[in-house]
Amino acid sequence: MAPIWRVGIDIGGTFTDVVASDLAGGAVRAAKVPSVPGDPVTALVAALAAVGLTWDGVAELVHGTTMVTNAIGESRFSKTALVATEGFTDTLDIGRMSRDNLYRLDLLPKAPALVPPALRFPVAERMLHDGSVDLALTEAEADRIADAVAASGAESVAVCLLHAYRNPAHEILLGERLARRVPRVALSHRISPEQREYERMNTTVLSAAVMRRVQDYLGRIGERRPEGSRFHFFHSAGGMAAIGSVADHPLMLAMSGPAAGVAASARIAAQIRDEIGTDRALTFDMGGTTTDVCLVVDGAAQVRSDHRLGRYRIRLPILAVESIGAGGGSIARLDSGALLVGPQSAGAAPGPACYGRGGADATVSDADLILGYLEPGRRLGNALTLDLTRAEAAVQPIAEGAGVSVAEAALGIARVTHANMVRALRRITVERGVDGRSCPLIAFGGAGPMHAVEVARAYGIRTVVVPALSSGFSALGCVSARMRYGRQQTVGMASDGWDPTAACAARDAIIDELTTELRNAEGTTGVELTVEVVASLRYRGQSDAIEIADPSLGDAERLGTAFRARHDALYGFSTDEPWELAALRVAVSGPEQASVTPAVETRAAPEGTRRCVFEEGGVIDTVCLNRAALAPGDWRQGPAIIEDEWSTIVVPPRERFRVDGFGHVHIEVAQVDGAQVEGASA
Amino acid sequence: MSIDPFTLEVIRNGLSAIAEEMSLVVMRSARSPLLREAGDLSSALTDRDGLLIAQGQDIPMHMGVMSFTVQEFLKIVPRDRLRPGDVWLLNLPQVGGNHLPDVKAIRPVFSGDRIVAFAVSLAHWADVGGAAPGSYYAAAYDAWQEGLRIPPLRIITAEGPDEEKLAMVLANVRGPDERRGDILAQVAATRAADRRFAEMFARYGTDEVEQAFAALHDRAERQMRAAIAALPDGVYEGEDFMDDDGHGGPPTAVRVTLSIAGEEAVLDFSASDDAVPGPINTTRFITAASVYYVMKAICGPEIQASAGCYRPLKIVTRPGSILDAPADKPVVGGNHETAQRVADAVFLAFAKFAPEKLSAGGPTTAGLLIFGGHREDGTWTTFYEVHGGGEGARADRDGMPAIRAHMANVMGTPAEVVEAEYPIRVERQEILRGTGGKGKHIGGDGLRRVYRARVDGLTLTTMCERMVIPPYGLEGGEAGAPYRLTLARADGTEVALPGKTNLRIAKGDRVIAESSGGGGYGQI
Repeated sequence: MAPIWRVGIDIGGTFTDVVASDLAGGAVRAAKVPSVPGDPVTALVAALAAVGLTWDGVAELVHGTTMVTNAIGESRFSKTALVATEGFTDTLDIGRMSRDNLYRLDLLPKAPALVPPALRFPVAERMLHDGSVDLALTEAEADRIADAVAASGAESVAVCLLHAYRNPAHEILLGERLARRVPRVALSHRISPEQREYERMNTTVLSAAVMRRVQDYLGRIGERRPEGSRFHFFHSAGGMAAIGSVADHPLMLAMSGPAAGVAASARIAAQIRDEIGTDRALTFDMGGTTTDVCLVVDGAAQVRSDHRLGRYRIRLPILAVESIGAGGGSIARLDSGALLVGPQSAGAAPGPACYGRGGADATVSDADLILGYLEPGRRLGNALTLDLTRAEAAVQPIAEGAGVSVAEAALGIARVTHANMVRALRRITVERGVDGRSCPLIAFGGAGPMHAVEVARAYGIRTVVVPALSSGFSALGCVSARMRYGRQQTVGMASDGWDPTAACAARDAIIDELTTELRNAEGTTGVELTVEVVASLRYRGQSDAIEIADPSLGDAERLGTAFRARHDALYGFSTDEPWELAALRVAVSGPEQASVTPAVETRAAPEGTRRCVFEEGGVIDTVCLNRAALAPGDWRQGPAIIEDEWSTIVVPPRERFRVDGFGHVHIEVAQVDGAQVEGASA
Repeated sequence: MSIDPFTLEVIRNGLSAIAEEMSLVVMRSARSPLLREAGDLSSALTDRDGLLIAQGQDIPMHMGVMSFTVQEFLKIVPRDRLRPGDVWLLNLPQVGGNHLPDVKAIRPVFSGDRIVAFAVSLAHWADVGGAAPGSYYAAAYDAWQEGLRIPPLRIITAEGPDEEKLAMVLANVRGPDERRGDILAQVAATRAADRRFAEMFARYGTDEVEQAFAALHDRAERQMRAAIAALPDGVYEGEDFMDDDGHGGPPTAVRVTLSIAGEEAVLDFSASDDAVPGPINTTRFITAASVYYVMKAICGPEIQASAGCYRPLKIVTRPGSILDAPADKPVVGGNHETAQRVADAVFLAFAKFAPEKLSAGGPTTAGLLIFGGHREDGTWTTFYEVHGGGEGARADRDGMPAIRAHMANVMGTPAEVVEAEYPIRVERQEILRGTGGKGKHIGGDGLRRVYRARVDGLTLTTMCERMVIPPYGLEGGEAGAPYRLTLARADGTEVALPGKTNLRIAKGDRVIAESSGGGGYGQI
């Protein structure tokens, strides 16, 4: 039998999620299994088994992984050398000179350089900012460097020459010589072709430092997977990438899992556009230790270039996911008359007090249990039983300190948690000049659907959508991903010296490069590719730029008109001063996959009730529904608890909900009096 | 009736979100490169009496200023002159200020017909007029040479901008178009705050929000009291020195007597030297900011930004001294140079009883270079750059290289950006190994950056300390190497540059900045 399944597998720290879609029959299967640390292939095979498949039945597997994130977090780097322009090898130590924490003098103020001085090799060469050569790199010098790096015993080498984003000739020559002598070479103009030598150098060095680890991982998968099956990764910019591309550019995997969840949300935002009346959305992925939020505009997740991976500052176009250190395991405590939640977390071990594994601190999950949102006595995974008594004991001191009941304290913990979330949502919308209240909140992750309505209410959002398969949402993002390669390149062309031919040529060169790379990937012969181009424009002297999609690079006047109109819309003014094209970002994509929609089981499931406590409405015996048994249909009035095996949706009393034809649960959020919709911000 | 701890935290979060939003609005739309690239701005909210209740980007230097600006403003502008929709500009140092380039935009926030709060947006303008581009005039001997002095000035009303006043301001600064953009950005930030406050009043009720303000002051006070109570009672003295008097004269002392008694502390700076001729004088507001920073860094990084934290602290400055200078004295460099020395002096008082909580001396200076002039294409430009140095060592670790210290945290500009935007070449940037002070733990190393002018006629301004008095060691550790500035002329001659100067440089001249090493900790 020919393989017919397309499978998405997201390996996270604790669980591995899998969603499989039958390409012929349309069936969908999903499961969640514990992750197997250190043995990804076994984890992949176990995940397949959990949905009743073997690898031989898989036509295409798309994989999301935290492997690179973990390697960086745990500093598992290989011996890496740095080759840089003479006089600039210490850029790695200098960085941008700012310290990460203003008041904690005891902590290291910035990340130590990844390459020790003995492994930094200055090279005699110099490019200028206009791409002209000030000091030519000789072949003899390139050979000398290659010899020296090889003699150092480095497993990987990063090359970052000044202004290589403008003229890469010297990096190319060095790369060619180094490739003969050193196992792995990362060139800065390939990894991050952008101005700012520290960020580019750090990105290149970090890539080189994890390259071996990623390539070993790919090798182990390659040995096991059957001939003819396709294997792709979900990458940080929201799309699939082939194994070969990931091997050369391992930081593509840096935000793989969260990006997959966000990409799936963007699909859903497009799916429900007509019903909601907008294709903007805010994603809300609340887990045990962190919550990730991201803004979707025009059906696409926002992309940002400046990021931190662990403590390392990098520059790459990656989905603009804002992570805050607050989740179900966040610890609540009274401190000088205020109730604080986080940033300390009980994590997975000992975990919240209600896990009964020795945790004594009150956490958000303990509050959820007290409020009845989590089911007392319920078994989680294999071993864990939620213990209400322990939760109450943990929250008791807070209640006493505040002079309220335990239930009121639990409500208070939830309120403060929601305020933290609202602050993060406000940041990502204000940054983009978007009124977040017009966006539906798409909630997923273990705790997202439990807290989404109150977060939405606190922010003034009117619609919450809990998508089908919300508890394994990153795996869904993987299975519904399309092939997509992107790149951002610094250009720096001024409007008063505009060269339409050169501008178009710069764009076309990136398109050609990406198209070639994409055509080399498995399964892309003959498919139609779409190209998206975004121009970053700014007035001279500005450092942030405004993004214009589909820019008319051949017509500076038209482009300038578009820029000024957008500047005026965003900032309330524009002038006739010269502007410049700071950078071009291009994405080339394969065709969209058909959407994956689980069939609704129509078997009736018993409805129970349990006592829940709500912010508005107090203590109420609340109906508990099985999500799998909810058929699409009419609006129903809350309160209700909707459960599947892995997550819980809380619908408070004033809210209405319904299930749509895709299996998504929509919740209409009642607003607080006085919360009016704002005008355009700024 | 007191507010519950949950509502308090929810409102506190909401206030912080408002201040953060204000900063984002300024960063997005302002035109000064300083604001956009380096983030040299702050946003603050105060209660109706001008007492600080929340702050956005937490720049220690701006904290004290924001704590006093509105209080001092209200001493000059009677409350009944304030109207909904007003925005007032202000930069006078003696009115809750620091130096002229940091211009504050103040908006009273009304609920109905009463003032409940103020929103303040502080931004460092790239130029505020005066004798030198960038408004750092090293040779200044009076306050009027430093630029445009703006007393409380209503620039916006509910009807819109007061164009005549705006024109008056813009006529007196370089780059009026850019400055107009900065002002509009600051105004937009306060408008955003006004809108968010209205939502907050609607949701919680104005009275409950005001109760939260009071509770926040009390909370900060409790935190500060607890921090002070944890310190041993006693009287401790600390002393450090500015390199000179601002004009190349002898070093100037900054002295503090720290008296800790129970939950309260008195920091008396009266023994500091008199005000000096050059532009390194400063205000009592900056002195308070430095004290607050040190207390927070040593005793409680969690102490919240609220005026209540000053209640258990008595900060005494002597009018006429360098830390409480007469209004006619120049102050531009005092904002970041003398502020850092106040912090150093307080740290050194702490060194008498708690050295293990401290870092040895670090790069407590901006190491500031300002290049002004015309690009090759004739357009005017100003390049403003700071240089971090080696971090001071600690009881348990070495210092790190090339970092900003204490009161400042503005980032550096990448060499590739310098070369693309300004008529300057960066020839090298490297660590100066061995410049950290020796000790059981070694101070961090300084850095060297070499600039070469690509055009004739650039002006160069320096504002740099720790060239004469190097960063101190602690517990027997050695001092770090001092800062050095060198001008290497195109003809091969080399001269050492003073820390505070304005001069012209020619095409091909090199300016070499070598920052200080950190102090060492402990005897070897």
